[in-house]
Amino acid sequence: MLLLLACATVDPVRESAPVVEPAGPVLKRLTHAQYGNSIQSLFGDAVVVPDDIEPDAASDGLLVIGGTVNSLSSLGVEQYETAAFDVADQVMASDELRTALVSCDTADDACSRTVLQALGRRAWRRPLSDAELDRIATIASEATATLGSWDEGLTYGIAALLESPYFVYRVELGEDDPDAPGERRYTSLEMSTRLAYFLWNSTPDEELIAAGEAGDLVTDAGIDAQVDRMLSDDRARAGIRNFFNEMLTLYELDDLSKDPTVYVHASSSVGASAREETLSLAEWLTFDDDGDYRDFFTTQTAFLDPKLATIYRVPAPSMDGFAKTTLPADGGRRGFLGEVSFLALQAHPTSTSPTRRGKFIREVLLCQPLSPPPADVDTSIPEPSDGYPTMRDRLEEHMSNEGCAVCHVQTDPIGLGFENFDGLGGWRDTENGNTIDPSGDLDGVMFPDAWSLASAVRANSNLAPCFSRTLYQYATGHAASDAEDPLIDWHSAGFADSGYRVQWLIRDIAASSGFRRLGEVEQ
Amino acid sequence: MKPVPPLLKRRLPGVRQQHGGFSRRTVLKGLFRGSVVALSLPWLEIFAGRKARACDDGFPTRFGLFFWGNGNVPEYWVPGTEGYDWELSELLTPLSDVKAWVSVVSGMSVKLPNTEPHTSGAAGLLTGMGLDTVNDEYTFAGPTIDQLIANEIGGDTIFPSIQTGGTDCDGQSWNGPSSRNYPETDPYTLYERLFGDTFRAPGEEGVVDPSLGLRQSILDSVMEDIAALQSRVGTADKARLEQHLDGVRDLETRLAKLQEDPPDLAACSQPPAFTADFADVDGRPQISARSRAMCDMITMALACDQTRVFSHYLTDPVADILFPDASAGHHSLTHDEPDPQTEVRMITADCVAELAYLLTAMSNVVEGDATLLDHCVVMAASEVSQGRTHSLDDMPILVAGGGCGALKTGYHYRSYTQENASSVMLSVIRAMGISAASFGADEGLATDGLSDIEA
Repeated sequence: MLLLLACATVDPVRESAPVVEPAGPVLKRLTHAQYGNSIQSLFGDAVVVPDDIEPDAASDGLLVIGGTVNSLSSLGVEQYETAAFDVADQVMASDELRTALVSCDTADDACSRTVLQALGRRAWRRPLSDAELDRIATIASEATATLGSWDEGLTYGIAALLESPYFVYRVELGEDDPDAPGERRYTSLEMSTRLAYFLWNSTPDEELIAAGEAGDLVTDAGIDAQVDRMLSDDRARAGIRNFFNEMLTLYELDDLSKDPTVYVHASSSVGASAREETLSLAEWLTFDDDGDYRDFFTTQTAFLDPKLATIYRVPAPSMDGFAKTTLPADGGRRGFLGEVSFLALQAHPTSTSPTRRGKFIREVLLCQPLSPPPADVDTSIPEPSDGYPTMRDRLEEHMSNEGCAVCHVQTDPIGLGFENFDGLGGWRDTENGNTIDPSGDLDGVMFPDAWSLASAVRANSNLAPCFSRTLYQYATGHAASDAEDPLIDWHSAGFADSGYRVQWLIRDIAASSGFRRLGEVEQ
Repeated sequence: MKPVPPLLKRRLPGVRQQHGGFSRRTVLKGLFRGSVVALSLPWLEIFAGRKARACDDGFPTRFGLFFWGNGNVPEYWVPGTEGYDWELSELLTPLSDVKAWVSVVSGMSVKLPNTEPHTSGAAGLLTGMGLDTVNDEYTFAGPTIDQLIANEIGGDTIFPSIQTGGTDCDGQSWNGPSSRNYPETDPYTLYERLFGDTFRAPGEEGVVDPSLGLRQSILDSVMEDIAALQSRVGTADKARLEQHLDGVRDLETRLAKLQEDPPDLAACSQPPAFTADFADVDGRPQISARSRAMCDMITMALACDQTRVFSHYLTDPVADILFPDASAGHHSLTHDEPDPQTEVRMITADCVAELAYLLTAMSNVVEGDATLLDHCVVMAASEVSQGRTHSLDDMPILVAGGGCGALKTGYHYRSYTQENASSVMLSVIRAMGISAASFGADEGLATDGLSDIEA
């Protein structure tokens, strides 16, 4: 006992969390990925998730927040209907999937009611009321009578559950906290949904929803127990991948456009490879290494397929798919900022863009939003020529315009540090025959090249707090108000004390009042 | 023929009654700091709820928007001559075959603050309003012109409006803040929607399928859930759910209309399914082939009266797409290519050529003694004048078809006083037979149309 106490005091004593005014509830429409994961969780991984769903749009840099802001279009409603029937048809047509769903064999109204009750509880993430179940079951029995087939009837019942706003939106409206008069908290059942989408980017599984129903998820111990279980499940790996995909806008790699006459290694699949590389690294760092988030920018560990190895001019660690490797210490390339997913995405189809690369570091990695360019200003930069042979020369000319310089001084000196990487991410020493000068400074830290710039990014005092803020917003699903700053700062301080371990931060936020408490419904 | 099951006798959705005779759809009110406020904006009181103006020959008037991103190069766009004798400028040369239908409206300005390059121009032109802000992100503050028109005349067709993209794009069709109508960008999916299993050619009977009634039962259930949910959520979510409800009502209307006999229109027939492959070639999208496939379907959808309102987005603002023979992405070139911007001009002419294809296809559809194009107002525009400067003066605007004689055709009007572009929108809306009092708000407000382009 004494020993345990002694151990417990080795950790620095953490101040208690600041009390902040919580955000009010908002409806969260499932993102494309959440929709697909939820469908597969409900029916099985064999379901091919329909592709034509209303597109996600980011708000505050995250798709999940876009899902709390944007309205659904008429086409989107139509697509939900088509998708619901597509899924229901697949399930009923597959022996495997149908057997998993249909727990009774009487093929009558009582059986369809039983099936829809169980499915409804999972799909709507709460038990259906009697009236709701009556309504859905009636749809199935009417369809059975009209179409003369019990299976087809059940198809309509399944589609009805999936078209409902209770599936399409996460409804988390909270309750008065019996232990804290005047305050509101998310219900235990709602917490099962919040934890599931935060950690797994999917709907609660049976155990989680049961814990929610049992009232376990309004206590620290109950949440900790589920978070432990969830983090050790592979779905947590999918969850962290989704977070990095959203934070780093890697979904934009779907539309990566590069001119193959300029970049010989460009192809329609390089974007997907690049995303996999970055997500593999994020997953490894978070779960296998359980390491320091800041290493994401300086590690020589990389996950490459032959395509990327060719671009990086290193031996492919495997001739078949992705494998782990170590980048050479003298190759000039390391970490996320040496990856195609950053270098090519933050560039143009036929050239680099120091401005885009610098802007990404400012806005996404350091949470420093920039102003848009002023209107009615001539934004042209000189063409490559004898007078302006390199991108640096051209941009410096551009920066002689005071109106442009105000913003570009915040981006270009960073972005020019990556000029040894072309618009796809391949290494080059020269541009138009001139040796590239990749030096610059980041907030007063001078760097000679991209390798050192990675260290400067790693050491930047905004890097980890920005990550904490983004993960907090991702978890809670809202753009944090100024009132929440002290709480985010508190999480960020703990993150630093933990050695910047992402799993630690996930646990900390899952236990946070910012994740568990809410304000009144805003009228 | 199969007997019609009793389920098909269900009530049809009474959408107009539910809206008290006003606009069929909800027009979202402005979101301000996360909560919805009732804006006393003129567009809320624009409409008197009329149906589409029928032309003298009985055909309905249709509206279309053709949009491309990144503007033009004005000195190569504006014709040197005015009036009915206008001569094709370099960038308008692709329109030579349809010139008689096209009016050029040059020198017009978007009067609103240009706070966000490209976005301000798109919103300013198409809504007449400045940008709104939700969660520190810019969004359109009100409905775009295509939706204003669809709100009035879209209720009589299977699709109130359709949005299509010639490239992978988000389009510029909005119902209000944070409420966007994404275009269909896949030609195959668009074909299925318009001309798939449920398409009925003139002379055939409406769709007889008991599943339509069953699908309607599901939609009723969805509406009940939405209504229950609306009573529990905050104001902003209520508005979002109302938009969702509008989509459900649109689908209900469509299920009902599918059961009606199709209109008897001589020019309407089911187009052949196509087998073209629209995959990128050498890293470049097949912009022209894809856009033309879309435009062929739009044209037939209009000829079949499946919709009376469309918007087609060749590219989005800021799109950095590699056009054929271009050395860099379009947006990059607008900023980086020095004068005289040879490549930007080439790309702009490519965009105009796609417009010409659409207009030609419409002019080839015979309707009575005239053509489909005569029965349309097709407005073509981009979100800035010159891409390099993001200027909103001298916007590129074309108005084609004349809307059954409501607007001049084959005419060049040039403004020398930077008149408000909203006045053009107002003339177009009125040409559709809609008695609008005004268009836009604040500096973008127009209460008078541009009489110089009206017939």
